[in-house]
Amino acid sequence: MKITIEGKVIEAQEGASVLNTALKEGVYIPHICKHPDLEAIGGCRLCMVEIDGVEGAVPACKTKVEEGMVVHIHAPQADKVRKMAMELILATHPAECTGCPKYGKCELQSLYQYMGVGPERWRKKSRVVKNDDSNPLIQHLFTRCIRCGRCIRACRELRGIKVLDYQKTSDGVRVGIDGGVSLREAGCKFCGACIEVCPTGSIMDAFNMIKDDRSYSENMVPCKAACPAHTDIPRYIRYIKEGEFAKATAVIRERVPFPDTLGCICNHVCEDNCKRNELGKPISVCKLKRAAAVRDDGAWKSKVKKSEPTGKKVAVVGGGPAGLSAAYYLAKKGHAVTVFEENEKAGGQCRYGIPAYRLPDEVLDQEIADILEMGVDLQTGKKINAPKELLEQGYDSVLVSVGTHKGTILPLEGNQLPGVLVNADFLKKARLGTTGDVGERVMVLGGGNVAYDCARTAVRLGAKEVHIACLENTKQMTASEDEIHEGEEEGILLHSAHSFLQITGDTKVEGVELQKVDKFYFDENHKAVIELVEGTKEIIPVDTVIFAVGQKPAGTEDMGLDLINNAYIRVDAKRQTSKEGIFAAGDVVTGTKSVIAAISEARRSAEEIDRYLGGDGDISEQLIEAETPSPYFGQCRGFADLERKQPELLDADIRKKSFVLVEQPFSEEVAKCEASRCLQCDQRMRLTRPKLWNEYGGEEQ
Amino acid sequence: MKTLESDVIVVAAGLSGLAASIAAAENGAKVITFEKSNTTGGAANMGMGPLGVGSPIQKNQMISLTPGEAFRKHMYFTHYRVDARMVRDYYYKSGDTIEWLMDMGVEFVGVQRAFSAPEVTRAYSDGEFTWHVVKPEGGGMPGPRCATTMTKKMTEKAQELGVKLLLETPVTKIIMEDGKAVGVLAKDKSGEEIEARAKAVIIATGGFGDNPHMIKEETGYEFGKTIFNFAIPGMKGEGIKMAWEAGAGHTPCTMELMYQLPDNMNHFILDGAFRQPCLWVNRNGERFMPEDQIANTTFTGNAITVQPGSVAYSIFDSKLLKKYKKKGPDIISHVHPHDLFDHFDEQWEKDLEEGYECIAQADTIEELAEKAGIDVEGFVKQVEEYNEMCENSYDELFEKDRNYMQPIEKGPFYCCRQYVGAYGSLGGVMINYKTEVMNQDAKVISGLYCAGTDACNIFGDSYPFILSGNTMGFCLNSGRIAGENAALLVEEM
Repeated sequence: MKITIEGKVIEAQEGASVLNTALKEGVYIPHICKHPDLEAIGGCRLCMVEIDGVEGAVPACKTKVEEGMVVHIHAPQADKVRKMAMELILATHPAECTGCPKYGKCELQSLYQYMGVGPERWRKKSRVVKNDDSNPLIQHLFTRCIRCGRCIRACRELRGIKVLDYQKTSDGVRVGIDGGVSLREAGCKFCGACIEVCPTGSIMDAFNMIKDDRSYSENMVPCKAACPAHTDIPRYIRYIKEGEFAKATAVIRERVPFPDTLGCICNHVCEDNCKRNELGKPISVCKLKRAAAVRDDGAWKSKVKKSEPTGKKVAVVGGGPAGLSAAYYLAKKGHAVTVFEENEKAGGQCRYGIPAYRLPDEVLDQEIADILEMGVDLQTGKKINAPKELLEQGYDSVLVSVGTHKGTILPLEGNQLPGVLVNADFLKKARLGTTGDVGERVMVLGGGNVAYDCARTAVRLGAKEVHIACLENTKQMTASEDEIHEGEEEGILLHSAHSFLQITGDTKVEGVELQKVDKFYFDENHKAVIELVEGTKEIIPVDTVIFAVGQKPAGTEDMGLDLINNAYIRVDAKRQTSKEGIFAAGDVVTGTKSVIAAISEARRSAEEIDRYLGGDGDISEQLIEAETPSPYFGQCRGFADLERKQPELLDADIRKKSFVLVEQPFSEEVAKCEASRCLQCDQRMRLTRPKLWNEYGGEEQ
Repeated sequence: MKTLESDVIVVAAGLSGLAASIAAAENGAKVITFEKSNTTGGAANMGMGPLGVGSPIQKNQMISLTPGEAFRKHMYFTHYRVDARMVRDYYYKSGDTIEWLMDMGVEFVGVQRAFSAPEVTRAYSDGEFTWHVVKPEGGGMPGPRCATTMTKKMTEKAQELGVKLLLETPVTKIIMEDGKAVGVLAKDKSGEEIEARAKAVIIATGGFGDNPHMIKEETGYEFGKTIFNFAIPGMKGEGIKMAWEAGAGHTPCTMELMYQLPDNMNHFILDGAFRQPCLWVNRNGERFMPEDQIANTTFTGNAITVQPGSVAYSIFDSKLLKKYKKKGPDIISHVHPHDLFDHFDEQWEKDLEEGYECIAQADTIEELAEKAGIDVEGFVKQVEEYNEMCENSYDELFEKDRNYMQPIEKGPFYCCRQYVGAYGSLGGVMINYKTEVMNQDAKVISGLYCAGTDACNIFGDSYPFILSGNTMGFCLNSGRIAGENAALLVEEM
């Protein structure tokens, strides 16, 4: 049907409101209590219009279109009611905007700008309500509330959580929580829909949640933003909640080709950024990933796209997570990819750096097989010393991703004694079964996860007494809490906040002299400052010392490429090295980081290499149809207090004796239960953002 | 990564950015304007109107001030320590800019001055009628925020001229190639990067009033300690930093000083009630300026900033309060409600009860000093001396206007601590009178312009309160100058 609004003939849909019809056709009618995703209630009276043949002004949001209807927005009676409605709204809203963080993002401010209502008729009667920042994640600043009820409709009808409602108080009706309890007690699911639909600064994200240096979406879904590969975490967790493990895996695989591996060993920075930290413990994202990956049915494979052969050849030097990931994406783009791996098997640090009790060979083998299936040619036992020779051999481009496989030995007295080992060699030999005897007592120097890998490996190799010493105190240590805890269960003796003075012994290692650290920090020049406690020197007798204080790339100095700090390959913004056609990615560029960071960097370099070879650089993929999740959350008593699920671990006494996998994947039921704790922060971003007057591009002229 | 192309890119759509966008588009340039908020107008949405000299409105009101006179006045005020050519071009354009706005449909209530000086000081510090106060859409008397109607009309004008307005899309970097500005990097709401290329880039981001770190770094003030400025959300100084990063010269930054109470908008009645020529002392209990000057917020802000602890105390007694309630305040402010003393008791009782820390009430002078944190001995002595002078109707110390020589003698006594405030920051980016950005050696960086607060280096050490509307006036006119010059550059290329 056709209607006329402000002289413009508009196609209208039967049953639609005048307001929605006008807005859809780019004709602006002021409104504030109507939100695109919420029912109209006709409360704010800003959308008043006059209709030919109808007495007085009517709210456009509550008026259905009729054939031939003639609507006037700017007509005397409509304007009069609208103006008064705005004056009444502004009469109770604080006039001072400069202290409000919503400034410049406020719908009311935009409307005020549009309407420009003069202040002379307002008798200011600000109804001061005490700010409430006692709730996690959400703050209430109801002095600014204009009682439009959008938050209430979002909470009750759209989400079905039913926490917010109008409350009668001695100061009049205002928004509040039934019973005046806290959000947590009321069963709030902290989805943030109320914040999202609030047109003023009345309901806002807690101050600590919004970081200026992050974009809106990064602030809204911090787990995804924090993940180096930006895996769509809330989306796959939702599938896990629904028991759709294969779909969940497909979502993960859209960003990374190693879901199971990451499920075992990812350093999960996502969890540090999970908004549920504000309520208690974060979602167990990493373990949920594993729960999904072990139940994958491979359905994603049917969705994988492979481009036609381009005729271009790419060589990848180093078959670790970076090299293999890049090879996978480049092969998908139609390039002929060969991976040269120095060791007997591919996997790099995942294979030779991480012990089997954390990441078994089978997991890695399966995921590497999936990559090779894409047509990647893997040549093991081939060491490449000069990557540029590969260019001469006819490869169009080379990616160097040799990682950091040379352990660092600190300049310490006694560091040359027999019995001194270094992390990288030790862990690799342990995987190969060639370590030899480590003796009864072992001391690992270092406070990161690799130190724990070394120590726990030593335990499994039969050492009776294993120590770890590091400068950092337990809070500063980079080892994960789980590692520290599981290590303790396996009997590892931790000397945190200790400096190592020397390794004692004449012909072989006999002990390590330690001294307690009072303070350890980095000064403004990033120089380490260590203050020791007098009179706390002691010698711990040991047979073996293992350095686990960092790793560097091996052999890069002979590659003929520009280096940083004599070891790390320098790349430009396009990930290209000083030699044209040679790219580099992973730890060899960034220094020892995480597997997920290496994969993310590999994706970047694959994009650049593809572009270098004439492609479009687009490696994004969709392995599962996009589905719209239900916006209805429903109620759940005690939602905020749901506890994080812990995976089952092998008993410490059993696991100490072998390299079998320590941690069992979540059962289906436990995984679904853990996934249901997710706040689904991303759902908030699916709410439609109301268009403001200035986005109607002068239609109102 | 999305890519865009245009003739001119404007960074931020506040008053300066809008003016620049319109001016560039009017002169034939294709314009993309980036704005990180969802609303245009920036800080100007809180203001009331701009300066203009020689406008039709002034002529109608028989205001005879000429651009040349305003220029001279400004230069005497700043002791010629600022770019005279820039100042000259600004004032000479400002009257025409008012007409330019009127052509867009902006209406002005009339022209005002910010204050009127006491008779003895009028020769050198009186307020001029330069402040063009915007008439709110739909009529009615103007008040704070009424300039938002002007930013609306300007937004509509920009859209009508085809300016592409990208809201919620902050610019992150100026792209420099061969020493020339050739575009910007920006990030849209979803976090997607945008690379926009253009022949000219105009920066207009409004200074760093909401960036305590930069305030400390650039001006030495500590936000919430030694200064309580308007921290208009979003004024983070990004434009200044981006300009510096692109090689712009660094000019000294100042804070646009005035004085106010912390959280003043929630204590607005008291903010106005104590802004009276009663007795003002510093922490030692001593008077520090003729109180008849306190309507000049710039002078008073400056005076407070050099007192011990950068605080002052405004004091009256019950008799004076009674007079204010009966006859109204001695100084009527354009910002505060005229009937503010009708609401004084209500607000005072409430704030006392809630423990608002700036105020104190006591039955004796000694007790008042103790409660307020003023040196008791010094204050007692000062009050005695002051009351004696009041009796003689002559201020031997500062020659304060004798109408205001009203003693402090009848309890209870009322005191309110006054702090240094500021509208925002001023300056930072070195420009010439064409608003072209220059490097530290005063060489022009081709393609880069800067307008408004980020480049407002013409006030010297203090805001020229005598020529009111100057902040917005400079934003509008420098923005306009930038837009015109950028369009000219595009045409020449």
